[in-house]
Amino acid sequence: MKPDRLCESWIWSLILVLWFSAALVLPLGLRAEETYTFDFSETEKKPYHFSGYLEARPVHFRADTDSALYKLRFYNRDEGNTLQEFNSKLQLEGSYEKDIIRLYFKTNTDYKHSYLGGDEQSTFYEAYGSIQPSYSFKIDAGKRNFKWGKGYAWNPAGFIDRPKDPEEPEIGVEGYIALSADYIRSFSGPLKTISFMPVLLPVSKHINESFGKRDYLNPAGKIYFLFFDTDIDLIFLAGGSKTTRWGADFSRNITTNWEIHGEFGWIKDYQRTFIDRFGKSDTDEYNAFSYLIGMRYLTARDTTFIFEYYHNDTGFMEDELRDYFDFINDGYQVYLDTGNVEALQTAAVLTEKNYGGNNPMRDYLYLRIIQKEPFDILYFNPAVTTILNLHDRSFTLAPEIVYTRITNLELRLKTSIIVGSDDTEYGEKPNDYRLELRAGYYF
Amino acid sequence: MWKAIVLFVVLIFTVPADALDGTDLLKQIDRNLNPESFEMYRKLINIEPDGRKKEFTLFSVKKGLDKIAALFLEPASEKGRSTLRLGDNMWLYIPAVGKPIRITSLQSVIGGVFNNSDILQLDYAAEYDVVNVDDSGSEYLLFLKAKTRTVAYDQLKIRADKNQKLPTEIECLTEAGMLIKTLYFKQVKDFGGGIVRPSYVETDSPLYKGYKSVMIFGKIKKRDFRDEVFTLTFMPNIDSLR
Repeated sequence: MKPDRLCESWIWSLILVLWFSAALVLPLGLRAEETYTFDFSETEKKPYHFSGYLEARPVHFRADTDSALYKLRFYNRDEGNTLQEFNSKLQLEGSYEKDIIRLYFKTNTDYKHSYLGGDEQSTFYEAYGSIQPSYSFKIDAGKRNFKWGKGYAWNPAGFIDRPKDPEEPEIGVEGYIALSADYIRSFSGPLKTISFMPVLLPVSKHINESFGKRDYLNPAGKIYFLFFDTDIDLIFLAGGSKTTRWGADFSRNITTNWEIHGEFGWIKDYQRTFIDRFGKSDTDEYNAFSYLIGMRYLTARDTTFIFEYYHNDTGFMEDELRDYFDFINDGYQVYLDTGNVEALQTAAVLTEKNYGGNNPMRDYLYLRIIQKEPFDILYFNPAVTTILNLHDRSFTLAPEIVYTRITNLELRLKTSIIVGSDDTEYGEKPNDYRLELRAGYYF
Repeated sequence: MWKAIVLFVVLIFTVPADALDGTDLLKQIDRNLNPESFEMYRKLINIEPDGRKKEFTLFSVKKGLDKIAALFLEPASEKGRSTLRLGDNMWLYIPAVGKPIRITSLQSVIGGVFNNSDILQLDYAAEYDVVNVDDSGSEYLLFLKAKTRTVAYDQLKIRADKNQKLPTEIECLTEAGMLIKTLYFKQVKDFGGGIVRPSYVETDSPLYKGYKSVMIFGKIKKRDFRDEVFTLTFMPNIDSLR
């Protein structure tokens, strides 16, 4: 690593830590006068609303220059052992309501400045209209998220949602354009609620193109029951853009401080494409049954444990992932020996299409431990999260501290440490650890 | 035989004719605090030892004994979050997450001394049995025990004004009798529609030394709702009730 880069990276890290520490410790200027009043004008409802979220997220990486994915990404660049990037996000949200009609939108703009220069991407995450003739019936048309499934980190039954990042499962994602309805009925007795959500999701050249095969109108649906104090969903997706899928989930409290949940998704005739170490492509087809079981537990000391086991039946086997890494390593050696980049370019395409998703293998454990406001420090919540690949024993460990003392400002300092030997999922990630500060302001 | 007759007569004359049944008294206190079904605007303020504070504004709706929902209106970081309680079941909906998740009564969605159970308070009589009532001059002292282990506080001691039959102070205790927090009810106000109740509830806790939280009641109005309003599916739409 070059000395000036090393110096720059340490200064960068120091700035992050000092900024966060200052926000944690320093008072907010003058003390507010102790008058506790309630201005009722705050509660007046206007027909429209407009709000937003602005985020700055500088990230510092320590590269793992021997890893396969580092070689794939940086084979023709010398970026040294450390990398910095600056990310920012702007989300705007608005709505207009009149009688039974409501219009809603949410935009998302991401800007990233990295070793590749600046890159900006903007899109509508959601934009739809609703008609609600009664409290038990509603129709939505437009782009929206559905968020089906009870899993926290993964959703094998989230058939019409984009996959979420298990390391950041609460971050919003882009929706799909669809026509949907909600019908709700309540009862007394052990069955308290039934609701039904039918969905029509079209796929064509300009609509939902990334969802699946074009020129299909895909019906989907979810039936929800609150039965004996248990949330139960039955889910399906048909049509031609993807093969038929069935799923179900449940969630219930065992005690006031202990919740359990589960979810499965069954995919008919799932097609999986993989390569051998020489890059020869192969495809197999089978009915895939993925499932998840999890729990959330709160101790008397306000420590929350979120635990999940996930079996991803659409994922790769250990030897298949090893072949993929070997193919990259061989391609890199060919590049070093001859300058030929063909194999690396093939690997880059495969990474984007097949292998590059979150948690591409079969069995995972997720554990997140959150301690609420330790040492009586209000709005200060440290947490640690780990995701363990049960096949190759590689894992990520991510401690973080979140501070929300300042109204509408959320500060988070997070490190992700990646642990794994050669030819393992996490061991072949392009970096050894990542340190990031996220400052998000709501307005 | 004569001793038994004398004891019976003494008991008749020592128990006042208007002696209150504890459960009836608790139900009266519940009804004086809120109508059975209503809508309400509240402000919650967390105050730190150095005087700094953080405020939250909520819109709440309740129906019957076991259905209540609340929607955060302010601050912007919490806007659109809603919580739902159906008996012992509680859920939190965060717009960015996009689906309701189950939460527990002891958690706090806002941080500070108030927990979810305080924000989504059902009738006391729905969750507690009256173990004893002490009649001490101008106030009653009710000793309550949770009906089930799923209730946030195992025991309550309610100090209530005798004339108004409204609480002035509630101590929340664990099964072992450890004090978790104390709620102080102040500033009785006429909200209209026959609703006269404390408009200011302050709480402190030995678990949060120096911190306190305040709940200010803005508007309370009797209103009936359909049961479908108190469902997971409706949680993202609670604002449409305003």
